[in-house]
Amino acid sequence: MRARALAVLVCFVGLLAPPATAQEAESLKKEIEQLRKQLESVTERLRRLEAQPAPVTPPPAPSPTGPPAMAPPPPGVSLAELARPRQPFSLYAQRGAGQLLFDIGVTGDFVGNLTQSNVEKAQGGTFAGQENRFFPREVELSLFGQIDPYAYAEVRIEAGEDQRGADTGVSLAEASVTLLTLPYGTQAKFGQVRNRFGYSNVIHEHDLPWIDRPNVLRNFLGAEGLKEKGVEVTIVPDLPFYLEGLAGVFNGDNETAFGHGTLRVPLFTGRLRTFLELGDENAVQLGMSVASGETTEKQRDTLLGWEGRYKYRPEGWLHPLLTVTGEAIYSFRRVLVEVDTDGDGLTDLIRKRERDRFGWYAGAEVQPFRRWAAGVRYDWSEFPATPGKERSVEPYITFWPSEFLRFRLAYKNTDRTHRETPDANDGSAKRVDEILFQGTFILGAHPAHPF
Amino acid sequence: MRRPRLVVGSILMTLALLAPGTEAAKKLRVVATIPDLKSLTEAVGGDLVEVDALTRGTQNFHEAEVRPSMMLKLRRADALIENGVELDAWADVAVLGANNPNIVRGAAGRIEISRGISLLEVPSTRVDRSMGDVHPLGNPHFSLDPGLAPIITQNIVDGLARLSPDDRPVLESNRRAFLERLDREMARWNKIMEPVRGAKVIAYHPDVIYFLTRFGLVQVGTLEDRPGIPPSPQHLVQIIRLIKAEGVKVILVEPWNDLKLAERVAAEAGAKAFVFASAVGAVKGADNYIAAIEFNVTTLAQALK
Repeated sequence: MRARALAVLVCFVGLLAPPATAQEAESLKKEIEQLRKQLESVTERLRRLEAQPAPVTPPPAPSPTGPPAMAPPPPGVSLAELARPRQPFSLYAQRGAGQLLFDIGVTGDFVGNLTQSNVEKAQGGTFAGQENRFFPREVELSLFGQIDPYAYAEVRIEAGEDQRGADTGVSLAEASVTLLTLPYGTQAKFGQVRNRFGYSNVIHEHDLPWIDRPNVLRNFLGAEGLKEKGVEVTIVPDLPFYLEGLAGVFNGDNETAFGHGTLRVPLFTGRLRTFLELGDENAVQLGMSVASGETTEKQRDTLLGWEGRYKYRPEGWLHPLLTVTGEAIYSFRRVLVEVDTDGDGLTDLIRKRERDRFGWYAGAEVQPFRRWAAGVRYDWSEFPATPGKERSVEPYITFWPSEFLRFRLAYKNTDRTHRETPDANDGSAKRVDEILFQGTFILGAHPAHPF
Repeated sequence: MRRPRLVVGSILMTLALLAPGTEAAKKLRVVATIPDLKSLTEAVGGDLVEVDALTRGTQNFHEAEVRPSMMLKLRRADALIENGVELDAWADVAVLGANNPNIVRGAAGRIEISRGISLLEVPSTRVDRSMGDVHPLGNPHFSLDPGLAPIITQNIVDGLARLSPDDRPVLESNRRAFLERLDREMARWNKIMEPVRGAKVIAYHPDVIYFLTRFGLVQVGTLEDRPGIPPSPQHLVQIIRLIKAEGVKVILVEPWNDLKLAERVAAEAGAKAFVFASAVGAVKGADNYIAAIEFNVTTLAQALK
């Protein structure tokens, strides 16, 4: 019974269906015809508009109390007109779904130096082992941006020539995540970072205000500076003046200063930074840093750092006229010394000794024109574990053809108290004269530089 | 016994020092990246807001230096109002150093006012740095176009109302009052500019196109070779020829650009160079949004006569 009723229903629907489809088709036909006419009219209008010469004066200014951002189109404006791309066509709209959600930038830093042959033999130049060469010091790919509403990430991969020869090494320069939404004015950053120890350690080679890293940093923290894996937390308390506090825990991989490389005996870092504006034209940044960890000999090494930076920027200038920068590092290092008590040439016992060492630099730069700057830096430094000291004077000149391209030329004179006698290669690096040069470019995105 | 008390006392004192002031609870603390937005926020926020700006009108906003003093202002901010379209991208670095979750990207307190603006000079071809400091998203200098004030102020009201929904009626009412005033001024400015409509001008940097278009003036060239690139001697020679050929009377110079160079070119070509209010506070008397436009309208109309 039920099956028969269903069959009747199907037949009924079948009978009704064809006229309904025909009706729809007719209606669609009409609609298409109407649209065709509209299209013809719009095409004709467009043709006429294109044939007209461009108006000299734009249409009169609309009332500022006009419609807000999301208001419906005003009467009299056709949809075709609204759909017309704005002058000129929007690139942004064309990006569509393939749009990158982070920034990419490439920086290239090429340096070269000329020095005496005895310095080259002793490998005692600023770029040790790379004397009298021109080479890519740091070609860096930077990727940075917001991960989600709570965190920001930065990845920097760098390639450079570490040793003489055709080979170029690629390494991870930095990769870190910053948690932005922590309470009480705090932020946490974890990953591999350039440590915020002093003013210049955090700066990558291509961004340094000089061609080379100051001697004191190279002597106490190595040629690449302090670059560690771990976590650091900063706090900016709600005070009437700017104060940033930082505390960090890291592996302690840096072989020049630490090297133990374990979280069982980690490297601790800390920094306090403040900033004073003396009117609109003068500004000073001051800071103090500390880093304490264990060396490869499992002995404690503690570094204290002080930094200061002053800028004078006359009213309305795009760049500072005068910049003065200085940093100092004091190192308390325990070392193991082999002692021969009976004079037989063999080590009889190992004693712990304290090595207190110091180093500093100060530099001034004058930039009278937007594209030209000249400056000088004076370095004085002891060595953290070995005797001797060195001092350098480095005048330099910088030229920026544009914001994204920079050339530098410097002369560096270094005097050392050690390496009095030539080594086996007949090399000596007691007195070093060097001509340094640098070409740096930025391709794509590059975050703005802090003070 | 004494020592624990001392420690607890010290901690409490430190916390008291770190706690935000009671005054802050009364008003929304707003920071704007540029002074134009500060002025507009003051107009719509009225007594509900306390506004500060990260830059001054005499500065080139493209090249603002990120100072810790910016971070200090941002540290306490409930809202950050930014222009967007890459004009104030440096604000990200300042925000990163301010440790304030209220204003990080994606937070309710981050207000970008370019939403809904129909940008001019959006590149229609592939762009790269050979074209200078070009903005792929379009020209970002729209804040001093009075015709765009309704959109900008609407974005500000929407942003502030997100933080303080109860204040929306007051914000809307302030906005209406401001726009009514601006409307009256606009009618007057249109009348002043009527005789010089269609006049051709040269800008030092392409940051005045919205204003010129609004009042029917035509920018025929820039002193800069390409955006952000200082002019070469060859380019200056071409510009002098252009000024003479097109009968350009005026070169507009930002307070941070090289006025002397513009004056030399103007003298050579028989035009005049003058500093215009490229932002609120850029010149004396341009202390707020309306005053800045008033300065530009009256000075331009006078110079183009």
